[in-house]
Amino acid sequence: MADERKDIAKREETNISKDIAKKTRALVPPVDIYEDNEKIVLLADMPGVSKDGLDIQIEKNILSIKGKIENIVPEDAKPIYVEFGGNEYVRSFTIGPEVDVNRIQANLNAGVLKLILPKAEEVKPKKIEVQVA
Amino acid sequence: MLWFDFADSIWNEFDKMQREIEELFDLTAPLSNIRSVSRGTFPVINVGETPDNVIVYILAPGIDPSKIDLTIEKNILTISAERDTTKDIGEDVSIDGYHRRERISGKFKRIISLPETIDANNVKAQYKNGIIIVTIGKKEEEKSKKIEVAIE
Repeated sequence: MADERKDIAKREETNISKDIAKKTRALVPPVDIYEDNEKIVLLADMPGVSKDGLDIQIEKNILSIKGKIENIVPEDAKPIYVEFGGNEYVRSFTIGPEVDVNRIQANLNAGVLKLILPKAEEVKPKKIEVQVA
Repeated sequence: MLWFDFADSIWNEFDKMQREIEELFDLTAPLSNIRSVSRGTFPVINVGETPDNVIVYILAPGIDPSKIDLTIEKNILTISAERDTTKDIGEDVSIDGYHRRERISGKFKRIISLPETIDANNVKAQYKNGIIIVTIGKKEEEKSKKIEVAIE
């Protein structure tokens, strides 16, 4: 009886570890972020992602970027040397209320994502004259 | 005194906890493959093999394909190229400053050895979504062949 119980517990354990093994860790794309008075520009390296695999969302103040890597490896291929693994990129940033979310532009070229986040008109910096008495 | 004495304080407990977590996740002395490259290596490369070809995948986003220099000599593959990450910003945008610059910019070169079964005269390369895909045929005699066994 005791033996049977042990067996059941073991089987559950292997199932869990298999589920974790199936999920590959998401890759973190390196980014460049520039800013001027008009906009914030984000560039992200996401090689292997096509336009269809890209998912950019803004929810409240969180900008999340996801990109699925298109499978280009033939089915009968076996790995012989591997430096990277994973099938998607994920990265998120908090953004401030100054970003005009309705005018965000995204462009993907040769695996580089370019996001232009324009600033709303009313929050652009104004030059303040300092009066010297 | 250069540091505060945290012994017997609550901070000592936090420090112990942190050390335990670091040990648990191999953060202090990570175990890595002897061939693994450090984080931030550019470009990273994977190599695979099918019965007829050896395929090299080089993750090199944002490169002008005409500036990629790829050579194979015997079984040594050399890739060199240049990328200027500031060009991706575009000329219409005037940029005063940056918050992050994580993307690697400049000239790079990587050399990897491939299996000796490759036929260096039979190479195809394409650039797709920022990945350079190099397909190299195997020497005819190295291809896995189905051998018929005659039964007497």
